Amino acid sequence: MKVSLNWLKDYIDLKGIASNDIVERLTMSGLEVEDVVDETAIYKDFIVAYVKEKKKHPNADKLSLCIVNTGTEDLQVICGAPNVESGQKVVFAPIGTLIPKGNFKITKAKIRGVESYGMICAEDELDLSDDHSGILVLDEKVNVGKSIADELSLNDTVMEIAITPNRPDALSHIGVVRDLAAIYNKEFKLPSLKLHESSHKIKDFASVEIEDSENCPRYTAMVVRNVEIKESPEWLKNRLTKIGLRPINNVVDVTNFVMYELGQPLHAFDLDRLAGHKIVVKSTEVESTFTTLDSKERKLPAGTLMICDGEKPVAIAGVMGGENSEISNSTKNILIESAFFNPASVRKTSKRLGLSTEASYRFERWVDPSGTLFAAERTAQLIAELGEGEILNGVIDVYPEKIVEKEVPLRFERIKKILGYSVPNEKVISILKRLGLKVKFESEKEFRFSVPTYRSDIEREIDLIEEIARINGYDNIPTISKISISLGEKVDESSFVDQTREIACSLGFYEMLNNPLQGESLAEITGNRIQVLNPQSIDMAYLRTSLIPGALSVVAKNINVGEKTLHLFEIGNVFNLNPDKEKIESFEDFTEVQKLLFILTGKENEKTWQQPEKSFDIYSLKGIVDSYLLRLSLDKVVADSYYNNEETIFDLYYTKSYKGKILGTGGRVKKELLKQFDIPQDVYCFEFDLNLLKSIKSEGRKYKEPLKYPKSIRDLAFVFDKSVTYEQVIKFIWQMSSELLKSVRIFDLFENPSLGENKKSMAFSLEYFSDERTLTEEEIEKEFSKLISEVSKKFNATLRGT
Amino acid sequence: MLEEKISEINSGFNQDIATIKDQKQLEELRIKYFSRNGLVSQLFDELKNASKEEKPVLGKSLNTLRTDLTAKYESVKIQLENSKEKEEDKIDLSLPGTRRIIGSKHLITQTLDEIKTIFKGLGFSVVGGPELESDYNNFSALNFPPNHPARDMQDTFFITEDFLLRTHTSPVQIRVMEKYKPPIRVIMPGLCYRNEAISSRSYCVFHQVEGLYVDTDVTFAELKGTLVSFAQQFYGEGLKYRFRPSFFPFTEPSAEMDITCFLCHGKGCRVCKHSGWLEILGCGMVDPNVFGNVNIDHEKYTGYAFGMGIERTALLKYGIDDIRIFFENDFRFLRQF
Repeated sequence: MKVSLNWLKDYIDLKGIASNDIVERLTMSGLEVEDVVDETAIYKDFIVAYVKEKKKHPNADKLSLCIVNTGTEDLQVICGAPNVESGQKVVFAPIGTLIPKGNFKITKAKIRGVESYGMICAEDELDLSDDHSGILVLDEKVNVGKSIADELSLNDTVMEIAITPNRPDALSHIGVVRDLAAIYNKEFKLPSLKLHESSHKIKDFASVEIEDSENCPRYTAMVVRNVEIKESPEWLKNRLTKIGLRPINNVVDVTNFVMYELGQPLHAFDLDRLAGHKIVVKSTEVESTFTTLDSKERKLPAGTLMICDGEKPVAIAGVMGGENSEISNSTKNILIESAFFNPASVRKTSKRLGLSTEASYRFERWVDPSGTLFAAERTAQLIAELGEGEILNGVIDVYPEKIVEKEVPLRFERIKKILGYSVPNEKVISILKRLGLKVKFESEKEFRFSVPTYRSDIEREIDLIEEIARINGYDNIPTISKISISLGEKVDESSFVDQTREIACSLGFYEMLNNPLQGESLAEITGNRIQVLNPQSIDMAYLRTSLIPGALSVVAKNINVGEKTLHLFEIGNVFNLNPDKEKIESFEDFTEVQKLLFILTGKENEKTWQQPEKSFDIYSLKGIVDSYLLRLSLDKVVADSYYNNEETIFDLYYTKSYKGKILGTGGRVKKELLKQFDIPQDVYCFEFDLNLLKSIKSEGRKYKEPLKYPKSIRDLAFVFDKSVTYEQVIKFIWQMSSELLKSVRIFDLFENPSLGENKKSMAFSLEYFSDERTLTEEEIEKEFSKLISEVSKKFNATLRGT
Repeated sequence: MLEEKISEINSGFNQDIATIKDQKQLEELRIKYFSRNGLVSQLFDELKNASKEEKPVLGKSLNTLRTDLTAKYESVKIQLENSKEKEEDKIDLSLPGTRRIIGSKHLITQTLDEIKTIFKGLGFSVVGGPELESDYNNFSALNFPPNHPARDMQDTFFITEDFLLRTHTSPVQIRVMEKYKPPIRVIMPGLCYRNEAISSRSYCVFHQVEGLYVDTDVTFAELKGTLVSFAQQFYGEGLKYRFRPSFFPFTEPSAEMDITCFLCHGKGCRVCKHSGWLEILGCGMVDPNVFGNVNIDHEKYTGYAFGMGIERTALLKYGIDDIRIFFENDFRFLRQF
């Protein structure tokens, strides 16, 4: 909300207080000043000047050469505006002036060969409007040689204040003044009322009836007759433009002015357009349509609170008036509405219609129910003054159930308990009194205060403590330098994931983070997707069901910019609706699972001067996954299953499982899917369910004494049928060997016509040793030769010459 | 005669050995002097012809000669071998080594880790919670009344009327307080979602770290002390800070913590919007209504809570000017950190 400092000063004496102090103190007491425009600083160098003479520029058709009198001297100035004429009073920027628009300084310039000593300004250059059609021509009355800051009353300080939702009472100048009065311990005054009421009684001209008093607890109306609708006077237009409002006519301007003055939204009806000169406040019973004063037809759901006349709705209560009763230039008689509506009701209507106005913004937060009468009177007085109207005698004030001031107790010792320091009782009482609270009961330990109705946020003891804290200043709360830590059990639920990240990094992977919101085409690939009701765009309408589609998009994007080798990992949650569910009604209807994804593509090694290049392949992926599990000490308990057929993502894949539960799946991404992402190269990935992986108790690591006895190593190579797998052979080797065999490693694999058709050679290196003794040549030889003959028999394999 | 020959061979050897440049010449020298038919062996053969009287003397001289020459030969041989090794040692050290690739954590994770480390040092535990939350945990239990404008402070992605994507990590507070009894001292990091227009300063997902401490004597003064300690460890000693009153439905009194803008040192710049201050977190004392919702006695216990955005923190710390880069996963960006 924009607040004018000059306007504030109408109600409180701030003499001798610098504007930056006001900004600082407001911010530090909870009304955060987000931006400040100090007009005096901006406009102090601009002066009113008189155009003595205007000639054509000797070298340019569209430029004029002017002699400008600044009150002290005559200066030659080149001007490009079409409307400059001699005899005008204009805004002049002498050399050295900083121009607000574009933030540049005026210097002595030579324009088309002629020197110019300053600039005659247009409105846009002064940041007063967007108008650049010509220079700003001033009124005859302004004084030449004076600063425009004074002459054009450009001497205000306008603050943009962020009002938090708990402080609707501060959504007006008086609201800000009340806080300033408490902060500086000063008095403030409300605008004074001088009502000249006519002898005609309002009751004879209008009536008000509330049918729905729950949603409209109070409705105050006044009538001003024979008003002349016309332009507002300068002072009023000036007040409104300073805070960013566009003046319209005296009636509309007054209602806006009073809203920003007192915080009470007001509405002016053309009384003669109200059927039966009557106001009825009621909620609609069926769905209907209504045309608001912005000429838009709006659909109203049943149960919308409306202001009606004797026949029809004339305004959406608290939101916007109707076209059918708005003020026009021919309006003569005006009914002023100053009401208090139920905040939740206004909010509901505003949300349903998607229509938020300055009025609804205030009503849905809370408007002072005790303030409607004063606001109505203030409005009537100003409309009558500015439109030469006649205020009818009396007020219609329908207020069936008075909203009373709340009483809130305060125990002084609680202040220290919450804030950590004591505030003297007298100071506490003084602060609360300055904020408009009254002492209703007092004892040594406890006071009870009544709270003015505009402070809807003060209901409990803690609310009073907050007021004391903020007005006394958060800076006065001590910053302690010692804390005590209890020695109970500490948990770190992120430790497993942290460990996973460390391992992934040590394996050469870079972490990525993807937005879990994605388009349908991605979310539908992998699971039973969950839709967002109100997405920002169709690209972000679903939650991811797997980390893979998002990662493939990243791969595609990077390949596009020339990054063709990628080794990335991601840890993130994926979301799936349970298959038998249509809609989420409880936490049991969907799963949210933390997953880990390794994804790789491109070259495992670049070609270097020492080694040839090598591309990532399925075995790179397997190795990485196994190294990860080894580091977690899960390598011994997790089993592999291999599949050579295609599924939704892979054309070649395998799983890791524990006690029959699949922990993760990975493999080579199938071509068809890669094509969908426009990825021209092989991609390998593996996705783990971290929730499951985390739940496995690893065996942990125990110390093993370094081997004291020598190892014996034996190599063997066989020619097998091509169909024999590594896994079959290795399982058989282990099965056929005693506990003396400690490790088997495949070190060579090749196919060659010389081996025969459909044959391949696999060579293994076997390690034998015992923890207790040195093995003899004989026992190893015995075991080894037995193995050779068993393998030959089992697989019909031929031992190759060693 | 033999004696003369001895001195002849001695000087001849000395001349020869001085010219030795490589293994081949050395081998030739060895053959010339020390082989079976070499010059030294020949002398020993000749010794047989010497007189009985001369034999011991000459034999001794011959032995000395052989020892001397052998020693010289050996020393040259070692020299040659050494120099040969040196020759082989002359490799091009300027060639590049074979690099091992070590990956890295995302900058957001790194920033989170730093924050986590500091709070763990201050006695905090670390817990997590789901991103798809109930409206109750995300709003109602945190004292956001239904149909209250406070809900507008956080634009929400809804899944159904009662389920949503959490707009902050604060619902984890509710989960923690429902599960554990005080004292509770935890931080709760995680991903959050807001339905806000995407720009260089704002993205629809972001990370937060929430903190909560509930015990019998927790005060605002301790909240200030703890957060100042955090800020000094994280942003550096000697920074200036301020706590500004603010509003969050789940804390009261509430505050926002600002630190001196470390780019302009408080003079005012683009990053701090010319205020000289940077807002780094929101905090406050746990609202009694929240305690009521999780059945903790607010007369006996008090507590503080705080929350900070990680992306914003990382932007400030690393001088990044567009928040979207964190979720683009450009490999060239990821490798920088």
